[in-house]
Amino acid sequence: MTLVGVAVGAALAIVAVFIPWLPDAASEQADIIDSVYWVVTIICVVVFAVVAGVSAYAIYKFRAPPGDMDDGSPIHGHTGLEIVWTLIPTVLVLVIAVFSAVALTQAEDLPPDHRTIQVTAEQFAWTFTYPDIEVEGGKPLTTGELVLPIDETVGFEITSKDVIHSFWVPQWRMKQDAVKGITTQTTVKPTKLGTFPVICTELCGLGHAIMRSQARVLSLADFQAWVEEQQRLAREGGSVQGKELFTQQCGSCHVLADAGTEGEVGPNLDEALQGVDADFIRESIVDPSAEIAEGYQDAMPDNFGDLFTDPQLDGLVEYLLEATGGGAQ
Amino acid sequence: MAVDVHEAHDAERGAAHAPPPRKGLRRLTGPGWLRVLWFVPLGWVLATLLVISVRSAMGFEPLWELQVLIVSWTVIVPVAFLAGLGGFDYWLYWISGRPSRPEDHSGHGARTWKDYFRVNTDHKVIGVQYLVTTIFFFVAAGVMAMFMRAELARPGMQYVDTNTFNGLFSVHASLMIFLFIIPAFAGLGNYVIPLMIGAPDMAFPRLNALSFWLLPIAGLIMISSYLVPDGGAFAAGWTNYVPLSVNQADGNLMFQMGVQWAGASSIMTALNFLVTIITMRAPGMSFWRMPLLVWANFATSTLVVLATPFVAGSQFFIMFDRVLHTNFFNPDLGGNIIAYQHIFWFYSHPAVYIMMLPGFGIASEVISVFARKPIFGYRLMALSLMAILILGFSVWAHHMFVSGMQPWIRIPMMVTTLVIAVPTGIKVFSWLATLWEGRLHFKTPMLFASGFVSMFVIGGLSGIYLGSVPVDIHASDTYFVVAHIHYVLFGGSLFTIFAGIYYWFPKMTGRMYNERLGQLHFWLTFIGFNVTFFPMHWVGLQGMPRRVADYAPEFGNWNFVISIASFGLGASTVVFLYNMIVSWRRGPIAPGNPWRALTLEWQVSSPPPIFNFDEVPQVVGSPYEYGTRGARHAVLNGKATEAGKAPEPVEAIHT
Repeated sequence: MTLVGVAVGAALAIVAVFIPWLPDAASEQADIIDSVYWVVTIICVVVFAVVAGVSAYAIYKFRAPPGDMDDGSPIHGHTGLEIVWTLIPTVLVLVIAVFSAVALTQAEDLPPDHRTIQVTAEQFAWTFTYPDIEVEGGKPLTTGELVLPIDETVGFEITSKDVIHSFWVPQWRMKQDAVKGITTQTTVKPTKLGTFPVICTELCGLGHAIMRSQARVLSLADFQAWVEEQQRLAREGGSVQGKELFTQQCGSCHVLADAGTEGEVGPNLDEALQGVDADFIRESIVDPSAEIAEGYQDAMPDNFGDLFTDPQLDGLVEYLLEATGGGAQ
Repeated sequence: MAVDVHEAHDAERGAAHAPPPRKGLRRLTGPGWLRVLWFVPLGWVLATLLVISVRSAMGFEPLWELQVLIVSWTVIVPVAFLAGLGGFDYWLYWISGRPSRPEDHSGHGARTWKDYFRVNTDHKVIGVQYLVTTIFFFVAAGVMAMFMRAELARPGMQYVDTNTFNGLFSVHASLMIFLFIIPAFAGLGNYVIPLMIGAPDMAFPRLNALSFWLLPIAGLIMISSYLVPDGGAFAAGWTNYVPLSVNQADGNLMFQMGVQWAGASSIMTALNFLVTIITMRAPGMSFWRMPLLVWANFATSTLVVLATPFVAGSQFFIMFDRVLHTNFFNPDLGGNIIAYQHIFWFYSHPAVYIMMLPGFGIASEVISVFARKPIFGYRLMALSLMAILILGFSVWAHHMFVSGMQPWIRIPMMVTTLVIAVPTGIKVFSWLATLWEGRLHFKTPMLFASGFVSMFVIGGLSGIYLGSVPVDIHASDTYFVVAHIHYVLFGGSLFTIFAGIYYWFPKMTGRMYNERLGQLHFWLTFIGFNVTFFPMHWVGLQGMPRRVADYAPEFGNWNFVISIASFGLGASTVVFLYNMIVSWRRGPIAPGNPWRALTLEWQVSSPPPIFNFDEVPQVVGSPYEYGTRGARHAVLNGKATEAGKAPEPVEAIHT
């Protein structure tokens, strides 16, 4: 029986170790959470090996031959054994509890010199606001993608404009609901460069599955360059910036031949914008629910009016007019 | 052979006191489907007139407001239906001072299939009514799951739009929970509990009949939500979180109102079980001689009675916010969004145990009988049920670790959540110890019971991951959770429901099921289940959120595998249904005690006589004394023999 248990345990351990169960760990929090995950996994593998070993052995050894009419041994219990299998699991779960509690405190620890980023969720978009970075007209920098410098602890202050959403970057492991009326918090210290998905994990309506953005972690120098670029874009606008903005913000949902984008969630703009004027384009961006193209759902975020500065919006409209053949000037 | 018994009793006690059959137009006023036929439209007209007249008196525009009408319809039409069917006749007769025929047992027993379609007061008929109805909803909800898996087989959108998809998983979960798992256990309990404790029926047979008939109402309300114009079915998940549910189209009301009927049914049945178990045990059956299924239903019923009002309240509050414009959950006017989650989970976590404890009971019965051994550590098994009952009320906020509630609650709730693994572990280890040195017969019920133990262990262990706050922060709201709940509710609850149905099938129908088909069903289910749900752990941890109609392309291959396996799993149900239907009609006649079991329900004929026992049985010992020659659980003799239906002598079990 011990043999069966060890075999099952070894097989499980191989499954547990050699299959990459967790995505890349790209934050300090991820390392902490993964350590808890492994403690739980080791305990669970042992417990399951014991259970599976005993079951397999019992099924093999005590199976009754066909037509057998005998009964088993009249064993009613064994106080010692019952105490053992009450006490050992108690100790094991308490170990997990203590380990988890300590890890939780470490993961959520927010040093005083952290950077604050406000996350605003709405159907079906994320808006990230950097209160410490100013752009044109004294507004704080506001973006639709999250950009962070590496190795700097960030305190996210999260809220929602409508239903509940949940902010999650799998590689960072941290997740927090966005709830209207309150501000919730989470802490992340990114430790790896790269681009990671920002995913909404709380059912929020029709566009829940496409409520995604991305988080880019840059070196400090690249981050500063990015900030300056954002400030320049906010200041200048123009159709060249408009094209850049379109590729970043709109292309994942719309086809536009000039920008080479191929998203199919929303209408094909090469067709939909034929013969429309600048006001229609502007309204469709700022208030997308006003008119829904036939065959599409009301899933376009309505936060672009907040995301873009006026020069940016002008540039985007100008670009779209150019790209779709001028429209009705 | 069972028919003789029914007829004997019928002539003797039942029909003699039955009211004379009605003739001509008077048939329209008697309880039954003819009266339903005109009561229901009448109720609909009344409900509509009520809304329109009040709205016009108050000067509200428009008069035809669908939200309000839905509330009125889903309250009044079901009442009219129940009144038409005769659910209230006895009480109304009694209240109005008309002769109420207290000795009328015409509501007992089933002589033809038609007797299953009326307000029947026989717990055995009600048990079968429950099971057939719940299996209908199980199949309906299963078909919805098949549609979901078809959509999810490839990334991108193929067959349904996102609104339909959200409706599919919401109705799937609601039907599986409220119209299948919870009432299926109530149905098995209804059939078996009075027999097991040596009682002639449940304590309140008329209440029992009424609580069954609330179920099809709840189910039809939920399914017909697909027909609501502008938006269709409720699509905010079975958890129906605010504010999404408050903002949703009118179909959402069908969940809020459907739950009320299902919840009322649960509460009434649970009260009935409690009173029956406490007051109607046969002489000699002390609590420490009760079979563990009875213990399990005792614990479950306590949970139901204490917790279910909370889910009813939570859904009423949403309805009030929508229809009466209250602001329970509107943060702009002082409402509290997270309060909803607390109220909801204060029911819905205990509900997990409502869906699990009866399964523990069934597993204990089946494993003991098919291992031919006493259940290991009987008292600790019973006490651990009670421990789960108490601890079950102290863990609800583990569903809310990332919700934004007060952070400090997470640690104590984590500790209680993890500690609940201890009584659960005791049960698993005791089942394993029951197998030890037994003589194991792997008939279909035993296959499902042992399949349950292993699958439930996986579900329990993934529960440890989710119980640990840091791991839950990562895994919450992902497919890992979908995997976990299906290991617990499918591998746990459903496997034990199957075990129970196969185990008591001979008792209920008087016929044996086909063993080969039963085993085929088990293996198809077991393999299909694991291939479907195990990979979900991985896709969840890797980053696939739950409740999405579309997902990142990197999960495409695994989702394809999951979908194919789920179709196989769906197909395995066909084997089950075929076996049940064909065996019920043409299976070999079952003996009274095909499994050589000791509990009381097996000491009478299959199916049992109309009032279960011709003489009150005398309980003299434990229900699980396998292996001890001459040990008895109960003594039955005397009149039963004279009636020509000798129960198999208890001694015969040990030869």
